[in-house]
Amino acid sequence: MKRFLKLVLKDLEGSRLPTLFLSGITLVFMAFVRYKVSFGSWHSQMSVLAVALPTAFFPLWLIWRSFQTLRSEWREDTVYTLLALPVPGWQVMLAKLVSLCVEYSVLFAVTVGGTSLFFGGLLDELWSMVSSLSWVVWNGFWVYAAGLAVYSSLIIYIQLAFVVSKMVGKVQGLVALWVWVLASWLADKAAVLLAPLFRWLPTLRLHEFLRLNELDSGIVFEWHPAGQIGLVLATVAFFFLTGYLFEHYVEINE
Amino acid sequence: MRASEQALVVRDLRKRYPKVEALKGVSIALPKGEIWGLLGPNGSGKSTLLKCVAGLLQPDGGEIEVLGLPPSREAKAEIAFVPEVDTLYRWMTVRQVLDFTAAFYQDWQEETAGELLEFMRLDPEAKVSSLSKGMRARLKLILALARTAPLILLDEPFSGIDPSSRDRIVEGIIRQFKGEEQTMIISTHAVGDTEQLFDAVVFLDEGTINLQGNAEDLRTRWGKSINDLFKEVFA
Repeated sequence: MKRFLKLVLKDLEGSRLPTLFLSGITLVFMAFVRYKVSFGSWHSQMSVLAVALPTAFFPLWLIWRSFQTLRSEWREDTVYTLLALPVPGWQVMLAKLVSLCVEYSVLFAVTVGGTSLFFGGLLDELWSMVSSLSWVVWNGFWVYAAGLAVYSSLIIYIQLAFVVSKMVGKVQGLVALWVWVLASWLADKAAVLLAPLFRWLPTLRLHEFLRLNELDSGIVFEWHPAGQIGLVLATVAFFFLTGYLFEHYVEINE
Repeated sequence: MRASEQALVVRDLRKRYPKVEALKGVSIALPKGEIWGLLGPNGSGKSTLLKCVAGLLQPDGGEIEVLGLPPSREAKAEIAFVPEVDTLYRWMTVRQVLDFTAAFYQDWQEETAGELLEFMRLDPEAKVSSLSKGMRARLKLILALARTAPLILLDEPFSGIDPSSRDRIVEGIIRQFKGEEQTMIISTHAVGDTEQLFDAVVFLDEGTINLQGNAEDLRTRWGKSINDLFKEVFA
């Protein structure tokens, strides 16, 4: 556990500067828009821009970071250190996954915090639609959790594609792309194949769970998880496959 | 850990890269408690051999045994490998590098690390990115010598380093090498200043062994220093 934590801390420390920089830029941008709106230079609807821009940019940034955290290990030759360590490959990958999830959480918190801080007053109309603060917190948390789940699976596919690409000497970019497509196709097939095995699971009435009836009593939002379980299992299998390949088959030769 | 008479046994090791066969059936057996010089010009297969032993390259054929263990996570715990390239995280401080390494190896000696830090004249609060190449080489050496790892592999530790750093490194090796418990392989193509370190040497050329044996025996047999022998073999 101590070893794993050390790996996580190392990755967190490595991502500290870029995360702080992006958080700072985002808050400055929000403050700038708020200033313009407050003094009448810009229409109040421009506030949406201050929230929409980071929200649109962050996913791209996070995908780039998932790739970059691995790429930098090769570029700076620190992959020698990682491969020489007596730790399982999946721990190295999990440490990166955890640190990227922390990065996602920080950026999510910055977006939410910045929005509340700078535009809280301007969003009165929106607040009037919801019944309580607890509703906002509850649904906000599940939006965060769903985003985290999607992002985590994306990271796993990026890690697999990157590690496999490092097992070949040429056309690494093409190999990475091909592995990404193939892994996604396999996961999709696994989802379809395994779905009948999980038909017995109950349909989840998410409109009740998310208290959507507090917005409008007519909202129905149901989800049956059978189709997604194969996808999750395949993604978990790909994660361990990446760790195994990293530990046993990745070579370095400058 | 399994008991083994030899620290390292390599049998008929082969490794091919897309354009070149780097190792063409190399076989060596290193007894415990010796410092071996792995000597050869650039491209002779020295680094490839060490990387195969450290588990960073997968051989195409042959066998490797580290203290009786096949290449594995368990074997990695017994090896202190210092590659030629800079493998340090540049944003870390010297102290952070030591703490990071210490977390992964049970044989890490905190006290020895402190002594070596002082001996190598490194500031623990200095960032790796601010260190000169010689200082980084000294730091990498501390990472190996602060452990009581049974097998130490140093790949070109003197390459491109100023003479004062080189002298420090040689002195550091002499001071810290625990002859009864450890075995060391130093690969180099600069034999002159390091000849004194070697108990035995292996001459590697284009992936094959030209010559190997006890350093003193070779000196007596050929009537010349290892350095002169090296020059003659690779002339």
